[in-house]
Order: sequence, then C-alpha cells, then structure tokens
Amino acid sequence: MGGDSKYLGLWYVAPYAIGLLLFTAFPFVASFYLSFTDYNLLSDPEWVGTANYEKLFTRDRTFDKSLRVTLTYVFMTVPIKLVFALFIAVVLNYRLRGINLFRTAYYVPSILGGSIAIAVLWRYIFAQGGLMNMIITSLGGEPINWFGDPDNALLTITLLRCWQFGSAMVIFLAALQSVDKSLYEAASIDGAGPWHIFRYITLPLITPVIFFNLIMQTVQAFQEFNGPYIITEGGPLKNTYLLPLYIYDEAFGNFDMGYASAIAWVLFAIIMTLTLIAFWSSKKWVYYAGDKRN
Amino acid sequence: MRLSTLCLALGTTALAAPAMAEDLRMSWWGGDSRHAATQAGLEACGAKHGHTINPEFTGWSGHFEKLTTQIAGGTEADIMQVNWPWLSFYSSDGTGLADLNELSDIIDLSNWDDAQIDAGSMNGKLNGLPISTTGRLFVFNKTTYDKAGVPLPSSWEDLIAAGPVFKEKLGPDYYPFEAAGLDAALIVTLYGTQATGKPIIDPATSTLAWSQEELANAISMYGRLVESGAIESWPERAANGNTPLHENPEWSQGMIAGTYQWDSTYFKISDPLVEGQELVYADLLTQDGMQTPGIYRKASMVFSISANSEKKEAAAQIVNCLLNEPEGVAALGSTRGVPASMTAREQLLSADAIKPIQIEAQAKVINAEGPAIHPMMEFPSVRSAMADNLELFAYGELTAEEAAAEMALAIEEALEDVKS
Repeated sequence: MGGDSKYLGLWYVAPYAIGLLLFTAFPFVASFYLSFTDYNLLSDPEWVGTANYEKLFTRDRTFDKSLRVTLTYVFMTVPIKLVFALFIAVVLNYRLRGINLFRTAYYVPSILGGSIAIAVLWRYIFAQGGLMNMIITSLGGEPINWFGDPDNALLTITLLRCWQFGSAMVIFLAALQSVDKSLYEAASIDGAGPWHIFRYITLPLITPVIFFNLIMQTVQAFQEFNGPYIITEGGPLKNTYLLPLYIYDEAFGNFDMGYASAIAWVLFAIIMTLTLIAFWSSKKWVYYAGDKRN
Repeated sequence: MRLSTLCLALGTTALAAPAMAEDLRMSWWGGDSRHAATQAGLEACGAKHGHTINPEFTGWSGHFEKLTTQIAGGTEADIMQVNWPWLSFYSSDGTGLADLNELSDIIDLSNWDDAQIDAGSMNGKLNGLPISTTGRLFVFNKTTYDKAGVPLPSSWEDLIAAGPVFKEKLGPDYYPFEAAGLDAALIVTLYGTQATGKPIIDPATSTLAWSQEELANAISMYGRLVESGAIESWPERAANGNTPLHENPEWSQGMIAGTYQWDSTYFKISDPLVEGQELVYADLLTQDGMQTPGIYRKASMVFSISANSEKKEAAAQIVNCLLNEPEGVAALGSTRGVPASMTAREQLLSADAIKPIQIEAQAKVINAEGPAIHPMMEFPSVRSAMADNLELFAYGELTAEEAAAEMALAIEEALEDVKS
C-alpha cells in the first residue's frame, strides 16, 4: 500500500469528521461553558458560576413541573411503543398474502410522524369536534376534552409518538426473521405451544434488539418537541411542557442562552444516567450469540 | 469615430446611473399579500434608485429568533422590518441599530410626528421608522349579534349580559366574545388599566404599577365573563389545541361573535368568515368609575437599518422610497396597516387603496386615550408571567387573590430579569 493510499480512508471520513467537530462537538462543549454564564446572544457571555444550576434546582418551579411531565411522558411512551411495535412485528412476521404491502403501510407513519403536517392533523383528529370524538359520540359516549383537560393532554401527545412505531417495528421484524427456524421446529416437536415458543425462544433471542430499541426510543422520547409545540404549545397548565420546549423558550423566547444550556445539560445527564442503568441491567436480561450463561 | 461614440455612450450611461449602485438585503415577516407587495415595492424602488435588493421573508413564527440570531452573528440584512418592542432588546442604548437621524438628508422624517419619532427612538437615536400605528380594538360579528337580537355592547356589563341571551336565542355553543391565552391576559390588562388609570408596568420605573388588589379585581372580571357565558372557559377553548382564532371554525361560522385584536389584523380575522357575515369595530368597552379608555396602542412595526451595514445611504434611499415615494407606497398599499407616513397615507386615501373599515378602526385607535405602554409588556417572560397565572385561575387552581399574588411576583421577577 503506497503512502498516499495509507491516508485515503481519512480523506473519505474527513467531511463527516469535520462536520461532527464543527456542528456537534464544538456546540456540545460550548453549551457546557455557556451553562455557567449569563448570555443573551447580543452581548458577551458573563461568567456567573453555578448560578444557573442553583436557580434550576432551588427556585424554578417551571423546571420541576417540566421535568415531571417529561419523565411521565418517557415512561409512558417507551414501553407502549415498544410493546406495540413488537406486537405488529410478530403479526407481520407471518407469511400472509400481500404482507409486503402491510409492512410498508405500517412503516409510513414513521416517515410522516415527525412532520408538522401530521401534528396539525393530530390536532384536528382530537379536537372537540374532531374525528375521535365523532367516533365516541356515535358509539353513545360523551365527547372527551383531549387537549383542554390536564389529565388527557399528555396521553394525546403520547399516542402521537406511539403511532410512529414503524422504525422500531422494522428492526424487530428483522430480528424475528433472523431467529433460527430449527429452534421453533425442535420446540414444536417437544410439544411447546405458540406462547411458550415466543416466551422462551423468540423473546430471549431478540433481547439485543429490544435493548437497542429501548435505548433509541428513550433518547428520542426525551427529545420530543414537534408534537407538544404544535398541538398544545405545552398546555394546559404546562402538562405537556416537555423539557425541550422549556429549553427552546428560554433560549429563543427569553434569549437566556446560559440558562437554556444549563437545562440542556441536566437533560443530558438524565438521559446518560438512564442509559447507563439500562446498560448495567442488560447484563441480567440481554443474551448475545455465544453467551455462555445458563 | 466608432471609439469616440462608444466612449460617449459609456460616459452618458455612467452619468445617468446612480453614483453607487448597491446590492442590498431586506428582511421582513408577513403573509402572502405582504410578501408579494413588498417584492413589487423593492423592484420599483430598486429600479428607481439603481440598487438591487434581495428579499428575505418568512411568516411571523420564528422571525424573532431568526433575526436575533442574525444580529448576534452580524449577518442581518441591511434593511429590516422590526417589531417595535424588539427595539429595546436589540438596541437598548441606541447603538444596536443605525441612527436614522444621521440619514435625514435621504429619509424625509417630516412625514412622522414627534410621538411617532419618539416611539422609534432609543436613547435619543432613531432606530426604527414606524410603518403604521396599531391598537387593540373590540371587533364584533354584527350578523350574529343581530341574529341574537342583542345590540353591540358598549360596556363590560353589556357584554356580560349578552352571554345568557346568546345561549337562549342561538344555542349553548354561541358566545358573544372570546378570550384565551394572551388575549385573555390583555383583556385583564385593559380592564385594570381602565379601573386604575395606570398601565400595568410603570413606564418610569419599569416595575409593576398595580397593587395586588387592583390585579385581583382585573382577574375577577375574566372570571365573570366565563361565569356569564360571555366567553368560553379556558379548558373549553383549549379543547381544540393550539389553534389560533382565525383557524377556529367557531369563529369563521360566527358562533364566537367578538374578539379583542390589533386593528392591523383585520384581513386575518375577516378572511376566514363564512360569506354574509359583517365585522364591526367598536369603541373600547366602558366600566363605572373608569379612569381612562385604556387604549393599547403602539407602533405596529418599524423599518430599521443595520448598524453593521456598509451601505446605509443606499438602504436609506430604499426605506424612504417604500415609505414616502409614490412608487413604493403604491406597491406596499395597506399590507402593513394604514401607513404612519403622512404622505403615504394621503396617497393611499386619495387612491381609495384603504378599506373604509380599516380607516374607521385606525381612527378609533388614534383618537382613544390611554397611558403609554411599556415595551417590556411584550417580552415573552412578562407575558407568560401573566398568562400562566391567569390560566391557573381559569382552571380553578388559584383564587383571584392568589393568582394576583403569584402574578405580581412573577411579573416583578420577569421585569428584574429583563432589566438585568
């Protein structure tokens, strides 16, 4: 291999590496510094030490509320979405006529789901006179105040995120198809029923993928912005005011970049902690090929 | 001979063209009609003065963030449409934007009165030229009121009395008025201003001017409007999500028959109405013992020139053309409201280019009395201090007195933050 070609790979990755350094790594580090400053964009940052964090943890009731709402949202969204995605993946794993059409159809919401248009559509579906209430009243029920009732609003936003189950489903589907069919045959011969086969063969073999989806979906749920911003703007009574909305309002509403950075770093710390807990716990429930555990 | 002719032609062309043809940028927010009119204006003014102006336009949403980020990075356009309250954020000492007084040999400032010039000035420097003056007015759907057999209200008590009549004559889903979110906060502000004769923020000290009792009294009025059925409750209004009034079918169908809006938004609220409905601007509602009508009036927006621009003279030529010269004025029309520039207003009036209802509304805004409002009144943190606590009251989480105490504290904190 000649001298030039020795570094050829570096040239290939250079555009990505430069972009990563400039647009991810640098802002990441800069935001940590800014979280210790008072900075409104138009004047130089002024060092304030830990004042932003002190305010955040001792005096900011909005942060308390937003954090509680965010954690509730994540703990509702992630399990519902994973269970639903796995259920649909299992159904779509059967050899049915037109199965590819169904697989595509179920994946479409994931492509559309993050868009503003879908959030607006969601607003109309769950509005007082919207499709959902029309169905409920046609079945003899009372219309539900989905967005105006503080107890319902977060659930409505959660459903939007769960509706975008397609990407998790596709990954589950790939995992299901990679399970060795001879294991199923052997279990059947031994008299195992469908539930036992799923519980004791399928589920353990796809735990690495469940773990991967768990991490990805958790991180995405913590970063949810479009849905609550467009549909409820964080209301009512800040019951859908997720931390990314709060960060945005502080950064671009009040132009308090230092405080917004502090909130962002607290959010990062929470995600990091939960991820580490997930990795630690994975030793007990995730099984990889070649694993010697009994 | 050919060479001398060519030289003569080139020389003549050079003399005919402006001394300095510049490439400029101009940014603004607005709707489609404003975008089209402004681009036509820039073409006309650019051709007249020999400059090329690149337009940069967006909707309202996100424009503040974009413009602030540009100014922070020194990449803002030469000419900018700026919301009046933003001036104190961008240029608290008057140096954040160009001082247009220094360009008064190009821009004819005699078209604005002293009050308008003061409104666009920061620390004695003219940072923005008011494009139009706007104010919050009551506007009612006369068609629905006629159907209910109720005369248009002239006092708060009239409005409260209209609530039950609407329900009885038209049905439970009909309301003579609406107010939620920011609109509800501004209704509370208006009622309190009328009762006390003072704006909620003291212009001299930038502190809360009302006592907690005065604040509680104003908040209670919102509660009375809901209880009487004059307006939808906050939870009922929130049932449609974050939907603005002009996208609300209840408004377009006339089931909500009144609102309190900027007069410059006439087209935004009238366009969605189902055909056959008539909107009417009314005088500000009155109350017993009222100290002032309490008009909430301000420069709706201003044109500013970047302090960093190296082409300030050329930019000033374009600003003057858009606001004062026939070509620019005709192109812009009334897409930014009734012009503040005297020359522009006269030109459009003589050409019947402004709707009579816009003229009527503008007259109400100009003629009504009220204390000057503080720019900090429009800062997001101050507004959310008001709206968030009013929402807690509206949902029954706080009494009027408790909401007043919380609101007072939150407003004071927000004002301190803004000042620091």
